[in-house]
Amino acid sequence: MSNSKLCWPTPNGRPGLVPTLSLLACILLLVISAPALELDLGRIVTAIPRMLAFAGNLLVLPDWEYLPILAKNILQTIEMTFLATSIALVISLPLGILAAKNTSPHPAVFHATRNLLSLMRALPELVWALVFVSAVGLGPLPGIMALSFVTVGFMGKFFAESIEVVDQRQVEGVVAQGASWLQLRTFAHFPQAFPDFVGTVMYVLDHNLRAAAILGLVGAGGIGYDLVMAMRMFDYDRLLPIALSIYIVVTLLDRASDHFRMRMI
Amino acid sequence: MTEQIIERPALPKRPFNPTSVWLSGWLALIWLIIFDLELSFETLLYGVQDIFEYFSRYSRPNFEDLSRYVELLGQTLATALWGSTLAIVVAVLLAPFAARNLSPNAVTYRIARELLNFMRAMPDLLLALIFVAALGLGPLPGALALGVHTAGFLGKFFAESLERVDNGIYEAVTATGASRIQLVMYAGWPSIQREALGYMLYIFDRNVRMAAVLGLVGAGGIGLALHDTLRMFNYDQSAALIVVILATILTIDYLSTWIRGKLN
Amino acid sequence: MAKIIIKDIGKRYANGFEALKGVSAEIAAGSFTVILGPSGAGKSTLLRTINGLETPTAGTIQIGEQVVTQNNLREVRSQVGMVFQHFNLVDRLSVMTNVLTGRLSHRSWLGSLLYLFRRTDLDLAHDALIRVGLTDKAWNRADKLSGGQQQRVGIARALAQQPRVILADEPVASLDPVASEEIMGLLREICTRDGITVVVNLHQVELAKRFADRIIGLNDGLVVYDGPASGLDRVTLSRIYSRNGDQVDEQLETMLAYA
Repeated sequence: MSNSKLCWPTPNGRPGLVPTLSLLACILLLVISAPALELDLGRIVTAIPRMLAFAGNLLVLPDWEYLPILAKNILQTIEMTFLATSIALVISLPLGILAAKNTSPHPAVFHATRNLLSLMRALPELVWALVFVSAVGLGPLPGIMALSFVTVGFMGKFFAESIEVVDQRQVEGVVAQGASWLQLRTFAHFPQAFPDFVGTVMYVLDHNLRAAAILGLVGAGGIGYDLVMAMRMFDYDRLLPIALSIYIVVTLLDRASDHFRMRMI
Repeated sequence: MTEQIIERPALPKRPFNPTSVWLSGWLALIWLIIFDLELSFETLLYGVQDIFEYFSRYSRPNFEDLSRYVELLGQTLATALWGSTLAIVVAVLLAPFAARNLSPNAVTYRIARELLNFMRAMPDLLLALIFVAALGLGPLPGALALGVHTAGFLGKFFAESLERVDNGIYEAVTATGASRIQLVMYAGWPSIQREALGYMLYIFDRNVRMAAVLGLVGAGGIGLALHDTLRMFNYDQSAALIVVILATILTIDYLSTWIRGKLN
Repeated sequence: MAKIIIKDIGKRYANGFEALKGVSAEIAAGSFTVILGPSGAGKSTLLRTINGLETPTAGTIQIGEQVVTQNNLREVRSQVGMVFQHFNLVDRLSVMTNVLTGRLSHRSWLGSLLYLFRRTDLDLAHDALIRVGLTDKAWNRADKLSGGQQQRVGIARALAQQPRVILADEPVASLDPVASEEIMGLLREICTRDGITVVVNLHQVELAKRFADRIIGLNDGLVVYDGPASGLDRVTLSRIYSRNGDQVDEQLETMLAYA
């Protein structure tokens, strides 16, 4: 019995058309793009002892004098995250209303807002940070501007989607009372979408903290700058503390938002 | 005339509404932050004025290097593709262990979860920095960084979806005497097919954006070109690069929305 | 076919709740047994200790010559098919693949990883589908079928295992009366023709009377009746369905309606 023929659970015993074709397409894409990747097995192999040496270098006593500065910069990163998210929140609420099919005043407004939000989130934060640094100089300000800008793009979209799945019957109830345009949105749409809003804000905070940690790379504030400088100057006694503190802060926020989300449900 | 005293049943005491507390706390925090970061409205205002002038410098995109840009774009896309593939492979392997109802025991569950968290925690750009230090410049360290970081996200999404599958379905397949691997393959993945594909598309989309930016740390791709042109104040070429990046991201966005529509 | 020996099974949960308080029974090979009882009596728990989906805190289960332990669960389960109240099919997979999951215990892990089966497995699955009358739906997605059809797929899945025992946990509770008849008839026919030992949990007394060789009445974790269907008179029924030990003779019909 064990030398009976093998086959797939389909009428003709062969795997389905869609899964096979998609798999082949993916493999084809990977093979075509491989040269662009400059995959060099030799390079990877020689890199391993280098990586191990690098890891060994990290395990030194931290630069004690630097630690207070580290704390200050981490705090700056957290502050940037919070401020940028708050600013984006305030702007995204009205934009979300305009970008939701059921609360937008006019189809033209709806489409215009949707496209605007789409453009706002198209480019990554770092690109905008580069641009804003060129415009207003170094420091946390361009970072906050870049973060807020892109965040509005995401939050506006998520808010609009939450508003669109609201229960129409609850809305009708308020309409029947003769509510005005704004009152309707405040008392019928907003309360229903609120739990989703909170979830979105938590997710965005999580994402923005990681983004803020990077912005320092281009001088837009935050701990990213410290990390880049430490790498360039081979300050091994700073690298591990920096990486660890980023890891700790991100993880703490992650746990906090999980916890918060469970309490909301 | 007799007076009738009608007793009105009193309303129960109003529950304390913490909204005003939260709101004032929030505003106080914002004010504190603005103070601590030494943000001044003036700089913002001047900056905003300057910004309009500044943006006008980008109004004449120069596409003469387009062929080189397209080549770099290919490199960026390759980075995103390979990075996403690495992420998918790692996530598919780890997710069943990180799902409470599929993991062999509590210890493997904890380890798998922590491993995924660890991969997620470091921002990919910083991971890319480290990999560039080890592997040299080029798109490969970028792909590795993207792969590791997004594996953490994807693994968590997969694990949470696997946990949400109706337990009865897991029981039914277990009751036929199937092994754990078979349980995962026949009851786990098929049940979350649609969600899983959605997550994979989302991660690929995200990786294309990040890959464009990774060039800034020397991990290849079009970001590097943008960094150079901006540093040399070459606004025309920068504008062209931004247009190319934007067009690519929007196309990928559109494609993944289309695919997602097909799935439903 | 295999006999089932249930010896002194007890099940106590961590919070102190005792679902089973010492249940013993010997189920003859090839027989059709129905377990009756009110909700919360422990019927489901008892059934699930037989194939190890619940681990008893006391007592043993023996199927044929094999005692069920924590180490031979896969082996035991490959011989014991189970049918569930909510069907528990994998929605997105085809009917055929669902039935084929019954063959998984006989497949290598590598082959099953790639969704590969042997011709013989497919033939067995095909036979099972013929038995339940669903060959024309073989390639449909499982969730596109009606409730009764889905339950028949569940039975086909159990049949594909070539089991010695089939357990059915409230198999008709989610079905309309016509479909219920169909399913019970199918189970009975499988028992008679193939000689498979069938144990079914039910709360519909009428169905139990019509299809069972033997009835085990469970109440509050204890066996209160163990005998032929003909022995189900008012006295035994009120013993099975009484709550908190009260005799509720007069309201028996009402009780049975809500049991």
